[in-house]
Amino acid sequence: MKKYITKRLLEIIPVLFIITFVVFVLMYHAGDPVAMMLPDEASQEDRENMREALGLNDPFIVQYGNFLKDISTGNFGESIRYNTQALPLVIERLPASFELAGVAMLVAILISIPLGIWSANKRNTVTDLFITGGSVLGKAMPNFWLGIMLILILAVNVQIFPVSGRGTLVHLVLPAITLGTSIAAEMTRLVRSSMLDTLGQDYIRTASSKGVPYFKVVVSHAFRNTLIPVITITTLQLSIVVSGSIITESVFQWPGLGLLLVQAVNARDMAVVQAAVFIIAILVIVVNLITDLIYVLIDPRIKYS
Amino acid sequence: MKLKYFLSGALLAIVLFLAACSGNGEEEVEAESQGEEESGEVEKDDKNLVIAQASDLVTMDPQDSLSTTGDRFFRNLNNRLFKRNPDMEIVPDLVESSENIDEETWRFKLIEGVKFHNGEDLTAEDVKFSLERVMTDDSLKEYPYFTQLKEVNVIDDYELEVVTDGPMPTIQHVLAKSGSGILPKDYVEEVGMEGFMEQPIGSGPYKFVEWKIDDKVVMERNEDYFGDEPTWDTVTIRAINEGSTRVGELLTGGVDLITDVAPNEWDRVENNEGTSLVSGESTRVMLLMNRMTEGTITADPKVREAIDLAIDQQAIVDSVLQGSGVPVRSRVPEGVHGSDPDLYDAYVHDPERAKELLEEAGYGDGFELTLTSPKGRYPMDGQVAELIAVMLGEVGIDVNLELLESGTFIEKYSNKDNEELIMIGLADGLLDASYSLVHYSIDRAAGQTDYNNEEIDQLFKEASRNLDKEERVEQFKQIQQTVAEERPHTFLYQSKVNYGVSDAIDFQPRLDENIIFDDVSVK
Repeated sequence: MKKYITKRLLEIIPVLFIITFVVFVLMYHAGDPVAMMLPDEASQEDRENMREALGLNDPFIVQYGNFLKDISTGNFGESIRYNTQALPLVIERLPASFELAGVAMLVAILISIPLGIWSANKRNTVTDLFITGGSVLGKAMPNFWLGIMLILILAVNVQIFPVSGRGTLVHLVLPAITLGTSIAAEMTRLVRSSMLDTLGQDYIRTASSKGVPYFKVVVSHAFRNTLIPVITITTLQLSIVVSGSIITESVFQWPGLGLLLVQAVNARDMAVVQAAVFIIAILVIVVNLITDLIYVLIDPRIKYS
Repeated sequence: MKLKYFLSGALLAIVLFLAACSGNGEEEVEAESQGEEESGEVEKDDKNLVIAQASDLVTMDPQDSLSTTGDRFFRNLNNRLFKRNPDMEIVPDLVESSENIDEETWRFKLIEGVKFHNGEDLTAEDVKFSLERVMTDDSLKEYPYFTQLKEVNVIDDYELEVVTDGPMPTIQHVLAKSGSGILPKDYVEEVGMEGFMEQPIGSGPYKFVEWKIDDKVVMERNEDYFGDEPTWDTVTIRAINEGSTRVGELLTGGVDLITDVAPNEWDRVENNEGTSLVSGESTRVMLLMNRMTEGTITADPKVREAIDLAIDQQAIVDSVLQGSGVPVRSRVPEGVHGSDPDLYDAYVHDPERAKELLEEAGYGDGFELTLTSPKGRYPMDGQVAELIAVMLGEVGIDVNLELLESGTFIEKYSNKDNEELIMIGLADGLLDASYSLVHYSIDRAAGQTDYNNEEIDQLFKEASRNLDKEERVEQFKQIQQTVAEERPHTFLYQSKVNYGVSDAIDFQPRLDENIIFDDVSVK
């Protein structure tokens, strides 16, 4: 087990290396940050001075080499927008993003698991049709549209929730629903199909024929065995959480990592983009590792060696 | 069994959560409707102003900021030697009297008794420290404006001398800019610039409280302000990038004043009870840069004239912009020092004459050219460019329209890769014609428009060093007249800026787009 974890942790290094390279190449070709930093009226000379000062005139390989050397010491360079270290800027944003992602995930789980189980049990009925239809709808609604609509209806027309910003628990509701909906939509369908698989198993039929109450069969026999795929699904949703939070955070001005990232891309603020992508990559890898470890706890049949 | 408890527990949690939320909501809605019944209109019952702008500040260093969003904070935190009143006239701020000793030397006497927010006196030493910092540190964004300042000499605690490199007619303009914000010397030396950025201190009417990046900057009244008593207890500047969210906050009363309202949101703001749309002028002029490099089709003056005559500036303003602009024939709009009133609110439009001109130039059968325009950088920019393409098409010019994302666009522009026509909006951070007209000097135009007129070049150089105000304005007017004839730029319109304002407050937009908190008042 220890060996397994060490191996998995070591695997992170080459993955991160590849990520830094891809991000660096993309940002290198994405364009000139200096053009964004100075007003339209600035002269060519001003631009040239600034480019030189930022080391943007060095050849590609020198810039990449400097970059690797720096990040090995945790130095992602200075944000050209904020003139401060990039990594702390990114890390400062994590609590806000965790808060939103966590609650959104909770919303998604609370919606999708009961609905998925319910619709699997009512297979091919009107209820099933509504639930699966609803999940298609949920998936089809773009995040930014849903966000703007929720603001319009629940914050502007009926003033129940605040429009934007972060502060109290009430501020969390609309962004969490926005982000949670698309995740819930996908998860509901997956929980449903996974539940259907389990319900077709022999031991379920045996339990039923032994006279175990139906509710108990579903909840304690079928659902427990559905958990493994459900956990896999939940972790897979992490990528949706990341991409969804970029949009959701922009719509609700939620001061998290997504908002920082999208602004950094727009401003061609390479250091911040790299640090943000780096941190997101580490998070995804770590969550995947934790998922694999949770399997062991849930299913004694799974062993890593 | 455990699972059952978990599920029922979770269910209970949701129910409680929803109940709590909706409970809150009802109260709010009730309060709202009661308020309306009693007064019939919105009123402000506290002294807390909340402003939302389209992007956040990026620094707390007034000398390293060139953005309007930043200046809205700095102007209320710091004082400078001079400031601009609502009519854009330069008036003394920290200066009690000023004297022009010779062409290159200015003597300023400071108001006594001005204190920084930490209680220390603001003296000539602080002014010297601040100006020398921005004059010498070329990494600061404001540095390019200060290169003509040569030295600052302290005479006594409240008197100092500024020496310029040659006559500098724009010295007061520069001393009213955010780069001239006076920093507390002792404090900066004690805590360093990094410490200062964490807790910036000025001498202005509002003190810094906190900055949450991409969220808000909070300021509170400075009880010891040397000028008029500040109006507000606290002022919060929120950053809300998404336009519809910004409007949403205004409509629900979350904020009192929002900037940059897009045309598609105007009706929402205007039709809502309790909010209005307020439109103000800006120094930004939208224009087409014509490439005059030899061998380019737009090098032919008749072609450039035809392009100008083919475009109906008034129609663009009336249709696409819904009136949010003023047609111009110069880059220097009214209100900026040195503008020519004859070229403001003016345009030429004669498509028949345009066709004739093209015929004379030998392009009777039409020709093709490229027009580059950003999409999403200025209000309605893409639509304006499309309309121009249609107008040019009507006189036989086949436009290859290139619409670019803001970042890609500005890169093409700053690399001087512009083809025949490129549409851009240029503002004037100095509110002086010299700032705009430098574009027509030979050095500056090289590679971009390639406009080459020795006479204009000479005239500009003379005006740049001319301390005779009236003569200088005449020189600027002459340059603008010639440019309007020779057309290195085809001018379109001066952009207006649109604010959404709560009816509970009184707000007048300024040409420099700044917001002076104490000029905003409760109705």
